[in-house]
Amino acid sequence: MSEILSILYFIFSSIVFPGLLFVSFIGLLYVGIDRKVTGHMQHRIGPPIWQEFLDFGKLMTKEDITPKAAITPIFKAAPILALGSLAAVMLLLPVSSAFPTLMLTADLIVIIYLLNIPGISMMLGGYSSGNPFGIAGAGRYMVQLLGYELVFIMSIVAVAARVGSLNLATVVSYQATQGWLALDWRLLPAVIAVFIAAQGKLLRAPFDIPEAESEIVGGPLTEYSGPKLAIWRVVYDVEAIAVAALLISLLFGGPVTYLIGGVQIPAIVDFLIKTFLIVMLTTVIRNILARVRIDQALKFYWTIGVLLTLISVILVLVVK
Amino acid sequence: MTLVIPVGPQHPALKEPGFFKFEAKGEEITKVDFYLGYAHRGIEETFARRNYKHNIYLSERVCGICNICHSSCYTQAVEKLAGIDPPERAKYIRALIAEFERIHNHFLWLGVAAHQIGFDTLFMLAMRDREIVMDMREMISGNRVHSATNTIGGVRRDVTPEQVPKLLKGLDKLEKAMDYYLNLFQSDRTIIARCSNVGVLKKEDAIKYCAVGPVARASGVETDLRKEDPAGIYSKLSFDVITEKDGDVLARGMVRLREVMESIKMSRQILREIPGGPLRVPVELKIPPNEAIQRVEAPRGELLYYVRSNGTENPERVRIRTPSYATWSSFSTMMVGGTVAEIPIVIWSIDPCFSCTDRVTLVDAKTGKAKVYTLEELGRRHK
Repeated sequence: MSEILSILYFIFSSIVFPGLLFVSFIGLLYVGIDRKVTGHMQHRIGPPIWQEFLDFGKLMTKEDITPKAAITPIFKAAPILALGSLAAVMLLLPVSSAFPTLMLTADLIVIIYLLNIPGISMMLGGYSSGNPFGIAGAGRYMVQLLGYELVFIMSIVAVAARVGSLNLATVVSYQATQGWLALDWRLLPAVIAVFIAAQGKLLRAPFDIPEAESEIVGGPLTEYSGPKLAIWRVVYDVEAIAVAALLISLLFGGPVTYLIGGVQIPAIVDFLIKTFLIVMLTTVIRNILARVRIDQALKFYWTIGVLLTLISVILVLVVK
Repeated sequence: MTLVIPVGPQHPALKEPGFFKFEAKGEEITKVDFYLGYAHRGIEETFARRNYKHNIYLSERVCGICNICHSSCYTQAVEKLAGIDPPERAKYIRALIAEFERIHNHFLWLGVAAHQIGFDTLFMLAMRDREIVMDMREMISGNRVHSATNTIGGVRRDVTPEQVPKLLKGLDKLEKAMDYYLNLFQSDRTIIARCSNVGVLKKEDAIKYCAVGPVARASGVETDLRKEDPAGIYSKLSFDVITEKDGDVLARGMVRLREVMESIKMSRQILREIPGGPLRVPVELKIPPNEAIQRVEAPRGELLYYVRSNGTENPERVRIRTPSYATWSSFSTMMVGGTVAEIPIVIWSIDPCFSCTDRVTLVDAKTGKAKVYTLEELGRRHK
């Protein structure tokens, strides 16, 4: 009986909460707000905050074209693979309490792997689309991945070394007693570096190089249309939430329950506020900077980014 | 592996039709080829079929952005042809609107350049501030873009005394905005990273390929028709010819932005010194056989009109040499050795106008050979 219940719970978790449906809803909503804020920053009115839902709905009804030159199975599977991996990663991240739905011993490694799958599927999609812009975009993505991923992983290593565990739940409960890791001066360079890396991971300016509209049309997504493009849009939006959720668990104490005036505020509210603030931070950064070139981006990540994280790792290991 | 990257005729970086074929090794560009001619409209031929007055309308349609420069160049050429001297006040109003055109063209350039390097916020802000000068143009001429102010022998609409304080106020706003963008362009690190040392055109190359306007000035060639061959009242206005040394995209941008400041200065002087008097003189449309050349410094560079009359109300031949057309030859030099990421900003840095550039080449579809027609062969149709 309990086995059936746990299977049902697992299915519910992956599809409804905190899996696919919940995170898609939040992702579309947050990116809608992002677009509204962008509009105001640019002295425009901007679209309504539910615009992403409308776009999604419209794209779903559009014709689905697969180009003749494309390698069809890979081209079709890429968006689904990306969304699936993101839904899976949500199960490993703490959302409604300090503990994630699935507990693994070294879940940080699994999370890093799963968070890379959307990027890799985007590359596969670009390469398999048979479009020169898609191929150029995928090539750029590959270079960018080499840049930001090193910084991202090294920052996580710095945090893991500080706590002494590769388990996200341990990191969160450590912060419950010791305070936010983002406030630890030894980790401060890594915090800055991880935000720079996240900007590249989420393909936001100045690192929106793989899909630079004015240079290579849509990059890997050039040939995508209709429902497949709609799924890609959801992937973008969900990725923002997933990366933000990982960052708050690693550095900002994770979802915490508060007591305000005798009323218990559930941890999910804390989760939503914190992820929202992180998404907004990336929004502001993307609106005040121009896009850099791919060689400049790589150089930036491998010098300044790596230097920052290296300082943190050394500080954490040396200064006790 | 060499990848052929097609840019255009439909491409998000180019809002107008032109086809560029880039051969790239990875990100580096090894070869450039471009094909123009998607928007050929046979304007020069049409000029010969309409009378001088109707042709003012036509000359404004050569290029939407530089329409005032085209019409003032055309009308001044016809005035030379007929030996008319327009009133002083008309010359001042022509110069005022031409300078407003330069301001709005360079604001548009700034906005689109920002978009090309992925800086959409700057794009939106530049377009917002461009509205100020568009409103000022509308105030004077009644139209935002095609102002239709010039006519043969003068101008059609006056700048009233009530408009002057409003225009001065608008100029102050523009100066403040442009001051901010100048600072931004010099200090923002992402902009410098994208524009500095990109698409370099050396001074020798600029002279060799006959670059004109801001492109030549950014390479250190001090050329400005407003100083060299001043038409209208430009000899009475005080301004500096802006030049830069580097010849890269940043220099071309800086030249344009600093030119806006000069234009604002000139507009103030025009509004201060504008004399009274009539707006236009009557014109006899039947012009005896004669020929005239007029050059004007359009926002994009040297614009040339050659008009030949034959005693009727229609010109016999009108030849237009647009600034964009003169700049294309230096384009390959800027591009080769650059990266794919630089394509849009380098194309845009010469401020191309595709409708100005289009010429027709007659190609035999079977052999693929281009054929040159002589004037006699072309002229035969008329007889």
